[in-house]
Amino acid sequence: MTIKRSVLLGSAVLGLLIAVIGVSAFVFAEPYHQRIVFTFMVNLIIVLGLQVFMGNSDITHFGHIGFMGIAAYAVAILATPVAIKKSALATAPFGLSGIEFPLPVAILGAIVITMVVAFFVGLVMVRQTGVPATIATLAFLVVVHVILLNWVDLTRGPRAFYGIPIKASLLGATAIAVVGVLIARLFRDSHWGVQLRASSEDVAAAAAVGVRMQRLRFAAWMLSAFFLAVAGILFALFVGTISPKSFYFDLTFLTLAMLIIGGMHSVTGAVVGSIVVALGLEVMRFLENGPEIAGVELPQMFGLTGFYLGAVIVLGMAFRSEGIVGPQEIEEWWMRRRQKAKSDATSDEALQP
Amino acid sequence: MDYFLQQAMNAFSLGGEYALLALGLAIVFSVMGLVNFAHGELITVGGYAMFFAVLIFGVKNPFLILPVGVLAAILFALLLERVAFRPVRAAPPTTGMLMAFGVSIILQNSALLFVGTRPKAVPTAEWLMFDLNFGSLRIPVVQLLETGITVLAIMLLVVFMRRTTIGMAMRAAAKDFSTVRLMGIRANRVVSTAFAISGLLAGLAAVFIMARRGAVDPFMGFTPVLKAFVAAVVGGFGSLPGAVIGGFALGIAEVALQAALPSSVAGFRDAFIFSAIAVLLLFRPQGILGERPDFGEKT
Repeated sequence: MTIKRSVLLGSAVLGLLIAVIGVSAFVFAEPYHQRIVFTFMVNLIIVLGLQVFMGNSDITHFGHIGFMGIAAYAVAILATPVAIKKSALATAPFGLSGIEFPLPVAILGAIVITMVVAFFVGLVMVRQTGVPATIATLAFLVVVHVILLNWVDLTRGPRAFYGIPIKASLLGATAIAVVGVLIARLFRDSHWGVQLRASSEDVAAAAAVGVRMQRLRFAAWMLSAFFLAVAGILFALFVGTISPKSFYFDLTFLTLAMLIIGGMHSVTGAVVGSIVVALGLEVMRFLENGPEIAGVELPQMFGLTGFYLGAVIVLGMAFRSEGIVGPQEIEEWWMRRRQKAKSDATSDEALQP
Repeated sequence: MDYFLQQAMNAFSLGGEYALLALGLAIVFSVMGLVNFAHGELITVGGYAMFFAVLIFGVKNPFLILPVGVLAAILFALLLERVAFRPVRAAPPTTGMLMAFGVSIILQNSALLFVGTRPKAVPTAEWLMFDLNFGSLRIPVVQLLETGITVLAIMLLVVFMRRTTIGMAMRAAAKDFSTVRLMGIRANRVVSTAFAISGLLAGLAAVFIMARRGAVDPFMGFTPVLKAFVAAVVGGFGSLPGAVIGGFALGIAEVALQAALPSSVAGFRDAFIFSAIAVLLLFRPQGILGERPDFGEKT
């Protein structure tokens, strides 16, 4: 398989942007702001994973956070020190309260567990199309949440799971996000990605030239789940305390809004959308707590961040349903501008006597 | 035996609620291809309308409170269609679905912002909570009414769809909207009627949900409508009889599992049901009554 140079170029531009954000936060920012940037990196990885499936197969995916939850809990259960588990998870099944895995093993284990779940869910998923497929992903999210909430012996149920070793760093997350951009781009512009996008535009025509849609959709599904597994592990290893409600609708809405507003058909859109929505979100969080601006005490406004996300989606759909960036990647957009400038120039010359 | 009948009654009233909601979703989807994620907010709006009717206008008579809820849901459905969904009518289905999803988030959070985070109590008419005794069997009036009104609403809907011009136009629009327009039927009227009916059905469901919960909160519409979506998919998305069958099937399955499962695993009920549905869809992806789209047809 040949890799187009333009793909590498586009990924490099986006990767550089992310690296600049991550590294400058690491060097200059205070711990509080570093946490915000770390959360942004995790969200970006989620959005990239979402883009891999949604952008290429054109099926709206509401269940992605379910995979993140599975991975986060898996790594938490495997890696948390026995000393903490003795009190927090005393009744864990399979003797899990007595074993503690080294971190690399735990991470690998969490990824494998998530991928196995994704495999079986994917078998059902690829047979569905359109709306039923979307509802199925939503149902998957609910199933994961119900299990995390009710399997108290394994997950502590609604109470927070604490004591997860804090090993993730901002630079590590930044590096993973940069690699994530590259992988998402490589997939999008690989044979598989192109064929899958073609089949989502016209099933019959794609099938007529030998595209196996279900198989490709399954591949995108698995790759997407892998991204989400990584995001979940990073999240757990950074915050150290997780609970089922961290992996439910709030995060689903947020990441979906990020992808949609940027433009779900391109990786550039995923990155741009993540940045734009994250910036707006911080402003809204600030306003929500009722700050004092120019001597005026604003009231506390619960629900403002949610309102903002909804408004972002509605305005986006009403006025720019392809997102800010649209279906084109950054280098395609750039080259088109250059070509347009060139053709304008030549047509100008042609007009000269 | 009594226990069984009691549970059967529970199953029918819950199934009726899901069927009403699933029907509303299916009608809108069949006519204009919109997956209305904001359907649950019609329930919430109905609930808040009842709350404000009591709070501001001091309506005490329960016979007046209940219609307020239904009417508010209908008007709000019409408003949503006009403001939010008309601009995206020609857009691809994903755009409309995400639009509805955004509208739903906005409405939930507006309620949080402007009304408050806490549930608001709405007084329930006492006679609704009254138990009727049939021998040793005790059935609350609200359950009887719910089942009865669901059946009545479905029957009236069947008559409406088969006997009136606009009803027939709606059924035809589900197959081919442009031909309906060529026959001289106004597209806006067909779509508005579909939304009004979905609002009516959601309003009826809202009244019964309120009677059971006794309070309204910003997120109350979400779970019932999620269930209704699942019911509609099981029945075959976009099929009206399918929505009814799916709704009752889901209600019966939920009550049966609730009764059968030991309390230690009862919390997993929804996980069991959704997994069973996944298996069902593995063998019949189009649902019970859904038609398999012809190959290559856009879905």
